[in-house]
Amino acid sequence: MSVSSVTGALPDPNAPFTEERRGLIWLCEREVVRFLKLWVQTLIAPVMSSLLFIVVFGVALGDRIADVDGVPYKQFIVPGLVVQAILTAAYSNNSSTVFQARSDRFINDVLSSPLRWWEVNIGLAIGGVVRGLMTGILLLILAVAMTGIGVERPFVLLIATALVLVAFAQLGVIAGIYAKSWDFMAFVTSLVILPLSFLGGIFYSVDRLPAAWELVSHFNPIFYLVQAFRIGFVGQGDVSVWLALAVLVALAAGLSAWCAWLFKTGHRLKP
Amino acid sequence: MRDATTSPSRAGHGTPALSVRGFTKTYAGGFTAVQGLDLEVPDGAFFGLLGPNGAGKTTLIGAISNLVRPTAGEIEVFGHRHDAREARRLVGLAEQDINLDRFLNVDEVLIYHAGFFGMGRAHARRRAKELMDVFDLSAKAKVRPTALSGGMRRRLLFARALMHEPRLLILDEPTAGVDVELRSELWEYTRRLHEAGTTILLTTHYLEEAEALCEEIALIRGGRIIARDSAEGLRAQYGAADIAGVYLQAMARAAEDERRVAA
Ligand SMILES: Nc1ncnc2c1ncn2[C@@H]1O[C@H](COP(=O)(O)OP(=O)(O)OP(=O)(O)O)[C@@H](O)[C@H]1O
Ligand SMILES: [Mg+2]
Repeated sequence: MSVSSVTGALPDPNAPFTEERRGLIWLCEREVVRFLKLWVQTLIAPVMSSLLFIVVFGVALGDRIADVDGVPYKQFIVPGLVVQAILTAAYSNNSSTVFQARSDRFINDVLSSPLRWWEVNIGLAIGGVVRGLMTGILLLILAVAMTGIGVERPFVLLIATALVLVAFAQLGVIAGIYAKSWDFMAFVTSLVILPLSFLGGIFYSVDRLPAAWELVSHFNPIFYLVQAFRIGFVGQGDVSVWLALAVLVALAAGLSAWCAWLFKTGHRLKP
Repeated sequence: MRDATTSPSRAGHGTPALSVRGFTKTYAGGFTAVQGLDLEVPDGAFFGLLGPNGAGKTTLIGAISNLVRPTAGEIEVFGHRHDAREARRLVGLAEQDINLDRFLNVDEVLIYHAGFFGMGRAHARRRAKELMDVFDLSAKAKVRPTALSGGMRRRLLFARALMHEPRLLILDEPTAGVDVELRSELWEYTRRLHEAGTTILLTTHYLEEAEALCEEIALIRGGRIIARDSAEGLRAQYGAADIAGVYLQAMARAAEDERRVAA
């Protein structure tokens, strides 16, 4: 160590706080850099696994499965798979970045900085948003190329994407804050998100289900995400576009409020 | 950026670097770690907080740095509420537990930290290079913290706390697990920071070194301050030859008081 070279200005204790570059931008950058460093795991792997479903169920088996409401089966499953990939990416990115930061305690570096509570919230959530978006775009390009699906109502698709990203980015942050172990997050993914996605009508129209199951489906929030995306892609779904979007808005708002409360109060983040 | 060694500046307008009044922390389980603690650290001081394991040192430091939610009390940093951005900006913290971002390289750990404090990129890069030179970390700039030795991690933690040029530097056992040579270098460096005007709040279990470095010492036990003075004053007060003697006597007396209260 060269102990003689003490450098650095001593700040004026009465000066108002100013930023040369916003701390929030730095935190957002850190979150995006984190998942890009692991791009094979965080982007390529999930896109490949969704693609596998399109190949197996859509392209390989699709010709033997009847059209659903006039939509070829290989196209019918694309909206649900895209939304599932997006929400899983947003959720798993944020739950692991937050949990890792908490368990190694380097989140303290952010919590003790001059970042405001809502900036910390946005910063920690943004990685999932960007990763979800990139996953969705990659998958969309590949799905269009493989199945010839078009986008009938781009505006609906756009709004639905934004809402899904917000909702599941926040859900991931919440899970990362409450989690006591890695197993908890794997549990949420494999026993909550995955089953709800599959039961949410990715592979079938709930119209075909027995009445009781159709009713149950309507209590599954992911059902409405799939519907919103299907309406965006093929122009029609099992419920109205307004209902689907309303559920998404409620979900995004509810989860954002929960998350805001956690950061504002420091509940579970600070003893 | 001026070289602080050549032109030390002390605020000198009387506002203490740190002022704690009636700080109490009761953890979620109902355990009260700190009870009604008052403490004032003058601007420019080298202040030692000494006490046994579990005394509440890290709890107090956590509250000052907005990592622990106080149950009661007021904490001010250079006259600002401790949770104000102005206050946070002035505090640099090297925690007792090493907590380095495992996804970033050594240079990025430093640069992003400065970023969270609002520093511009070029400025942060320059400062990181400077501190990596000082702390002998330049050769490891592109390595992850997980691949550093224990002593290197301590140095990185120290360097990170200095990145945003804090006016109050809080060092929670900065030399835990550090070899003799590095330890003396870290102390020497801390002394120079202090000479340059930085207020230092230090906890350590190396009593002799605290005695040599600190202008003022507070002894803390069971979440209360049981003695506070200059090393000299404490030695006189307890009729002890050194701080180790003071420490042992003060702790024994406090233990006796605790027994009497309990009985
Ligand atoms: N998150 C927590 N939840 C509950 N109790 C806690 C928590 N953190 C600390 N404590 C308790 O508060 C007391 C003070 O702990 P603290 O870490 O402040 O001590 P310390 O003086 O820093 O000790 P050391 O010298 O060992 O670092 C201890 O009894 C500890 O068990
Ligand atoms: Mg401690």
